[in-house]
Amino acid sequence: MSTPIIQCNNLSHSYAGKIALDNISFELDSSEPVGLVGPNGAGKSTLLSILCGFIRPNSGSVSLFGQNPGVATLNTQVSALPQDARLDPSFTIGEQLHFFARLQGLNKQQGNSETARVLEAVGLKDLMKEKPATLSHGMAKRVSIAQALIGNPKLILLDEPTAGLDPINTRKIRNIIAELTPSTTFIISSHDLNELGRLCQKILLLENGKMSSTQLTTTDQDKPTQFFTLQMAACPAPEVIKELQQLVGVLQVSNPQKDEFIVEYNPIIESQIDIKILHCLIKNNWQYRQFSQGKTLEEKLFFDSTN
Amino acid sequence: MTPGFLSQTFLISQFELKRLFNTRKGLLFLLTFSVVWYFILLYPIRFSADIFAQNQNSTQGSSFFEFIGFGALLNWKIPEFGVYWRFALLMFPILCITITADQTCSDRERGTLRFLYLRASRDSLFFGRFMGVMAIQMLLILITVFTSLLLVIFRDSNLLLSSLSSAVAISINLTLILLPFTAMMATLSACISSSRLATIWAILIWSFLAGIISSVSYYLPALEILKILIPGYQMTQLSELAEWQTFQLAYIPILQSMVLLGIGRWVMTRQSL
Repeated sequence: MSTPIIQCNNLSHSYAGKIALDNISFELDSSEPVGLVGPNGAGKSTLLSILCGFIRPNSGSVSLFGQNPGVATLNTQVSALPQDARLDPSFTIGEQLHFFARLQGLNKQQGNSETARVLEAVGLKDLMKEKPATLSHGMAKRVSIAQALIGNPKLILLDEPTAGLDPINTRKIRNIIAELTPSTTFIISSHDLNELGRLCQKILLLENGKMSSTQLTTTDQDKPTQFFTLQMAACPAPEVIKELQQLVGVLQVSNPQKDEFIVEYNPIIESQIDIKILHCLIKNNWQYRQFSQGKTLEEKLFFDSTN
Repeated sequence: MTPGFLSQTFLISQFELKRLFNTRKGLLFLLTFSVVWYFILLYPIRFSADIFAQNQNSTQGSSFFEFIGFGALLNWKIPEFGVYWRFALLMFPILCITITADQTCSDRERGTLRFLYLRASRDSLFFGRFMGVMAIQMLLILITVFTSLLLVIFRDSNLLLSSLSSAVAISINLTLILLPFTAMMATLSACISSSRLATIWAILIWSFLAGIISSVSYYLPALEILKILIPGYQMTQLSELAEWQTFQLAYIPILQSMVLLGIGRWVMTRQSL
């Protein structure tokens, strides 16, 4: 049996009596990116800090590739983007990344080429000789992501990797993650559920220090009833609900927020319900903005009573 | 392949030296230190040494220096080094608790230590930084000893060989003296959030420890031995010794450093980064 990438058993941690993680246990052995979501203060950063070895849990055990966090043999296998960590303002970005590479066992030449490679990957090669103080928030974040890529680690823990990034650079980071998967496993903590929905097949939900007992997947293929999410331009909600409910196979239509409708249907009764929904919209001259299969991740994680 | 503890420690200490020579802040510090040292060398050391040299062989002069508490300076073969020794015993420990206060604290506050910890063990970080700041201080000691040596040669070039012996004794001994101060700052830096606070704590701990142990040992003389816990407690005795005799007390800073580094390492391994 292969060793799981991450294994946590009864992990608990508190800060001055306030519980951040409450007896959580989980195991990850997939090389697909895994999302870690939860409201503010749910314990996401604490969990990532424990996995990186930055803090020691009050109780419970954690192992990465079968070893305790922080042991020397993991230095070249595990990397991270720690939340809010900043580089030393006294040195240039190139000097610091080169130093990190040397600490990982690369020689001077390899260190130089690795520094250039990771900065190129995040589109910041030109800033090698700049000091961290000259960078914008987004650039600093990309440099922090670049340091996590040094030496091609097997596991990268990213705490809010796209927070504060513009759409172009967000896409760049998404592409990096996609390119490196499956040789590298990513654990991504984020509030951006759209982002996680695009990147991750598996989502872990942390709430009040507890991990959701179900590890959600972003697809619902195996469920008896399925969903479509419909985002409309301005429309009369009661009429839309009424019209959609009349379609054969539709079980329920809900309107969780303005101009957004979730259609629950039975695929056995009607397999081509999407075409029927579109016909219905055209017939009534209603404009839609987005029409997607399944519920949004936000809906699934935070508002779905079935999970 | 993951580099071992020693090579990581060496890399980290090397990077600290780079901080002194390759950063604006480091170069500014070196410049300020050089200017201050230039004036110390040119006026107090040179003038005092001249006076000592003139009176070294006269009984009247010796009695006067003994009367004002500087008689031990006459035991030095080279007066410049005698005066230097007195200055250094006061100046370097003060400089030490200032320049070594930020071994890990600002990096921990900024989160930079997290980037480093992903690649190096806490032990490598702790001892690497300690060795780095010790190397910087050794360098400063060597600069000051070397310039004092130049001053001696400038006065009398025949004194070169005899002053070399004093220079070596001073360089090694001063480095040993600074070990426990640096280890104390490494420990404080591992648990306090800013270098300024670490310096304040160092002064407070040092003063209270000295005060409490002195008071207690006044009533219970057997506890006098506890004074060995205070970094630099041997300074008064050291100022009375000259040349290689100063090594008689070298065991004290070595023992203190071992204890303080042990405590610092314990703190560092348990501290959240």
